[in-house]
Amino acid sequence: MADKNSKSAILRQKLHLYSNHINFRSFEKLGIRIWKLFRISNYRFDTSKLRGIADRTIYYLKIWLFMSRNSFMVMLMQKKLFVMFLTGKILRFVFFIAFLIFLVQGAESLAGYNTDQIILIFLAYNFVDIVAQFVFREVYRFRPLVVSGDFDLILTKPVNGLFRVLMGGADIIDFVTIPPLVIFMIHMLSKLNPTGVEVAFFGFLLLNALLIAAAFHIAVLAFGILTLEVDHVVWIYRDVTSLGRLPIDIYRQPLRVFLTYLLPVGVMMSFPAKALFGLLSPYAVFVSFVMGGLSILASLRLWNFALTKYSSASS
Amino acid sequence: MNKYVKLFKVSMAQEFAYRASFVLWRVRNIFQIFLIFFLWDSVFANPDKVVFGYNRDQILTYVFGLFIVRAIVLSSRAIEISGEVARGDISNLLIKPVNYFSYWLTRDLSSKTLNLGFAFFEVFILFLILKPPFFIQTNIFSIFGFLVSLSLAVLIFFVLLLISGSIPFWYPEAAWGVNFLFISIFVEFLSGAIFPIDILPNIFQEILALTPFPYLVFFPLKVYLGQIYGLELVRGILVSAVWLVLLWVLMKNVWGRGLKVYQSHGR
Repeated sequence: MADKNSKSAILRQKLHLYSNHINFRSFEKLGIRIWKLFRISNYRFDTSKLRGIADRTIYYLKIWLFMSRNSFMVMLMQKKLFVMFLTGKILRFVFFIAFLIFLVQGAESLAGYNTDQIILIFLAYNFVDIVAQFVFREVYRFRPLVVSGDFDLILTKPVNGLFRVLMGGADIIDFVTIPPLVIFMIHMLSKLNPTGVEVAFFGFLLLNALLIAAAFHIAVLAFGILTLEVDHVVWIYRDVTSLGRLPIDIYRQPLRVFLTYLLPVGVMMSFPAKALFGLLSPYAVFVSFVMGGLSILASLRLWNFALTKYSSASS
Repeated sequence: MNKYVKLFKVSMAQEFAYRASFVLWRVRNIFQIFLIFFLWDSVFANPDKVVFGYNRDQILTYVFGLFIVRAIVLSSRAIEISGEVARGDISNLLIKPVNYFSYWLTRDLSSKTLNLGFAFFEVFILFLILKPPFFIQTNIFSIFGFLVSLSLAVLIFFVLLLISGSIPFWYPEAAWGVNFLFISIFVEFLSGAIFPIDILPNIFQEILALTPFPYLVFFPLKVYLGQIYGLELVRGILVSAVWLVLLWVLMKNVWGRGLKVYQSHGR
């Protein structure tokens, strides 16, 4: 019996070693491939580079705060306009949320979601939409710069041109609506009792949605240089993303797949809430982050291409 | 009369001068209808379901009807009046031998004609793609009532735009904000252009019935669907007419006062 046990123990030990060996070898190969692919072997860790990145970040943060303060002051000079827009935005939010509540209560559910879930999807949409408008409002003012050639004055300054035209005019009206929206969202989160992991995924997917929103706005700027058309393109972006005000499940196929992965409204607006409800597979989460990364890389390439076509006309 | 016919033609040509802009605007309309269509399509996934007094055919007809009614009632050039007043551009027209209101009504009609043409084409394409059930009204009284209520809605919206357009006489910097608050919020939500008003609780419906907003989109569509008929139809048309007269009197008063304080800044 003891002999038998020792034999099986040896066999188990061999199998364990073998499997370790296999895993080790495969991981070793993968590591070498990544090493070669990204030429990590040529990289020398340099703390001065890290300090440089930190300095640049602080530099741009200071510029952003400065530009935002100017933008806020301009808006606050027009108090009536500020009050009108703020009232309008609040009313639009209240009207739509009231409509959703009455609708879902009357219809009993919408695409399988209950009232609280529909409200949370709507709040997630609003969060992405409002934060994107707050940060990227300057995009709406880009066309006159290109048409008049005044974009030259931005390109010649010691600040990244894209940073200036993308984030140079934060919108105070959207800014003041963000805190109540976040509080409302936290209140709804507490009602739904999600796990910590689900909340974490919700947060990361919202950030990913903002990354895709940034990519969209960069692409709009690039189109602005290539075609001089900004106003309608940015409004079409708004209309397309507004399709995400409600769960993506309400759309029929193949529109649903098109909206989820190609545009990708579903990834931006519906996926964060779905992750919170535990309805999103790990694969879908992975695809979302890949799409976020790819969209920002693609938009930056498009922007660099568009810059080569800028003719500086009228300047 | 001849000058307004010419103005109609010029205005139409002007719309075609910015073709890309016009086409993109129509694309935006399609996206807006998509959301509403699929929302109700999802609610009425079960074809036998009746919610808020609507069956599937009626609610999807309401959505497609929105496309046409919005093109007729809510597409308008008169929305530019507030900006014109704020910039002082109104002076150019005040010294010309044209009636200011007729000028903008003609431009409005030109815009509506063009938008209606495109709306019919888009509805046809969407109809082929989405294949929705569609309720065709055959009752001649309902069709007549629909056309009368639609005509009144066009005029009410025009007068509402003139009233909101006169606010910049006193607050020129608010021109943009007035349009946003008034058109994008109040008219869009309270006229039934996003959802039928009868999904709201009765108390809200009764309050809204006291305002001119439901008579812009909701009332004409309900008449088309045959859900408002007989005495209720006559009463609704009378209320619309009364609103039109009241708003016209208010507009003439506000406009007259506005012209008195107008200083033609920047001219």
